Parts: sequence; C-alpha cells; structure tokens
Amino acid sequence: MADRQLDVLVICGSLRKGSYNAALARTLPALAPAGMKLRPAPPFETFPIYNFDIQNSSGFPADVNTWADAIRSADGVIIVSPEYNWSIPGGLKNAIDWVSRMKEQPFKDKPVALQSAAGGILGGSRMQYHLRQSLTSVDVILFGRPEVIVTFAPQKFDEKTLELKDETAIGMIKQQLAEFEKFIRRVSPKE
Amino acid sequence: MATLNVVSICGSLRKGSFNAMVQRLLPSLAPDGMSIKPAPSFADFPLYNADIQNSTGFPAPVNTLADAIRAADGVIFCTPEYNFSIPGGLKNAIDWVSRLQNQPFAGKPVALQSAAPGPVGGARVQYDLRKAMMFLDAFTLNKPEIFIGNSASKFDEKTGELKDETTRGLIKQQLAAFATFIARVAAKS
Repeated sequence: MADRQLDVLVICGSLRKGSYNAALARTLPALAPAGMKLRPAPPFETFPIYNFDIQNSSGFPADVNTWADAIRSADGVIIVSPEYNWSIPGGLKNAIDWVSRMKEQPFKDKPVALQSAAGGILGGSRMQYHLRQSLTSVDVILFGRPEVIVTFAPQKFDEKTLELKDETAIGMIKQQLAEFEKFIRRVSPKE
Repeated sequence: MATLNVVSICGSLRKGSFNAMVQRLLPSLAPDGMSIKPAPSFADFPLYNADIQNSTGFPAPVNTLADAIRAADGVIFCTPEYNFSIPGGLKNAIDWVSRLQNQPFAGKPVALQSAAPGPVGGARVQYDLRKAMMFLDAFTLNKPEIFIGNSASKFDEKTGELKDETTRGLIKQQLAAFATFIARVAAKS
C-alpha cells in the first residue's frame, strides 16, 4: 500500500442523468492525485426496497452483492450525493441498508469521504451530517476535512456540458482528494 | 366533532416487524373519535429518479399513498431505525411524495413511534424524521414520545401482542395528545 496506486470507488446518490452530483463525480478522476485511481461504483438503482423477508427467503439480490464486492475491493470510497428533504436520498440509504446486513459487511473499516452539490446555500451539508451518522453505524473510518460542499450548483456547472467551472470548488476538491489519499494510507491495516 | 381519520405508515416491510405489530395495535388504543388505518404500501415504489418523474410522471402507487395522506387528518409513523437513521425505503417514499404539487405532508399533523431491539428504541430515526418532516412543513407532535426499546422482550412474537403495560399506556397517552394536537393545528374553517 505504501507506494502502490490506491483504488477508490465513487458512489453517486442521485439517479437522474442531468444530476449535478453525477457531474461532480465525473470530474473527480481529473482532479485526483497521481497516487489515486477513481472508478464509479456499480448502480444501486435496481435494488428492491429493503425487506428482511427477501434476504431471508431468496438471499441478497445479485446487484446488491455486486455493489458490496466493489466496496470491499476498494481502498476507499467517496460518496457524492444530493440532499433530499434535509437528509439522505432514500435510494442511497436503501443501498446502505442492504449491504449493512451482510456478513463481512463491506463498509466496515473502509475509509470514506463525502461530497455534495446542491442548489441552495447549504450545499447538501445536512445530508452529509446524516450520512456521517449512518456511516458510523456501519463502522467506516470517516474522513473529516476538508469538506466538499458545492453550494449554488447551477451557477458552478456549465449549463450544457455540466462541466464544473468554479475554480474555488475545483481547488477544494483537489485538496480533499490529496488529503484523502494520505488518510487512506494512514488508516489502512499495517502490513 | 367528526371522526378524526388518521393513517399509519410502517417503515418496515418484513412480515414479523415489531413496528408492524405496533401499527396493528393502534386502533385498539386510539381515543374515541379517532380512526387509524394503515396507509397504502410503498413497497413497490421505484427508487426516486427525477428522470422517471419527468418522462412518465409519478408512479401510480406514489399517487395512491399521497392521496391517502392528503385525505387524512393526521399521519402516524411506526418505524424501525436502520443504521442510525431513517430506513431507505421509507425515506424513498417521502422523497417521492415530496416532489408532488399539493405536497401531501404540508400542514399535516404527524406523530412518531419507533420500536427497536436495542436500548435507544429508535430515537435516532425519529430525530432524523423530524428534520425531514420539518422541511416538508408538517406539524410534528412533540410529546409524549414513544420509543419502544428492547422490543423483543415486550411483544409476544407469535401473536404480535404488546405485553408491556407501560408501553400500552404511553401509546394511549400519545394518541390522545395527538387528537388534541390535530384539533389545535387544523386549518380554521
């Protein structure tokens, strides 16, 4: 781990195509330090609504296992998500709820960093603080600062290409990714 | 005063859910003049995606749940806590209806209950739900709060009966307080 390139998974909390958060997630690879490679997580869109009876009768759905495997195999995870109704999008929370029930729970001891973009002045921060609370329950190792909170998103992304244009936000993301690399190397199991 | 029509929403989908047991119990503990019926299910909602909403509109079960909430004088949530917060499926249901015009929770009296096997009894799901409900302009009842901790010891797992008298008393109190609250916050006619 000391010198190899880190493999980091990016999870987007929104399913819509024109999502600012999906756009934000797409900008990350270009802003990552050389020691970190980013890949998008498999989709959670097709997960059924969590029901213990499904888990108990037919086991975990295949796409839940695929998602969990992707998390397990990564050195770290970045969650990029909008805020819905002052909290975590139900779909994203549903995905976390599913994998939280697994043996060899994939988030356990996983370094996780958070980012959000939103139209308003708080930039999805309330979602981030709820997510911190839930991720504590699944025993991740949460990255603290710098936080990436992209406020007033429509002004900061190109309307047509959805490219992130805001230099301050770009600088903040670069900083977070660089710090997240150090963080992952620090908290990873000692070899 | 006319009968208060209240709908209950259970946050868990599993058949043996303690919260579903609480939900089934409510009619028997309601004060005179309050009818409590289960709301239509959110089990078949797709995960929220604005592209679905924009291309094919709101799915039928979303409209059905929203209509039931709109028609009710109040809403009671009986929900477990998943990972220190709101179950994703329940939050997804709230996210869907939150996007409707004539948003169903606006101005709606809401009461919260949770049962959980641990000592905290689902307190964290309730405080997160309060925030989401506040955003949606609901009127959420403050007290008494119903946290059914150590739920496995309080229910008969076979019959679903709530054996704990203290909890039964507390639920009765909350439902009575909810009736008063609904009357108080109802729009003046």
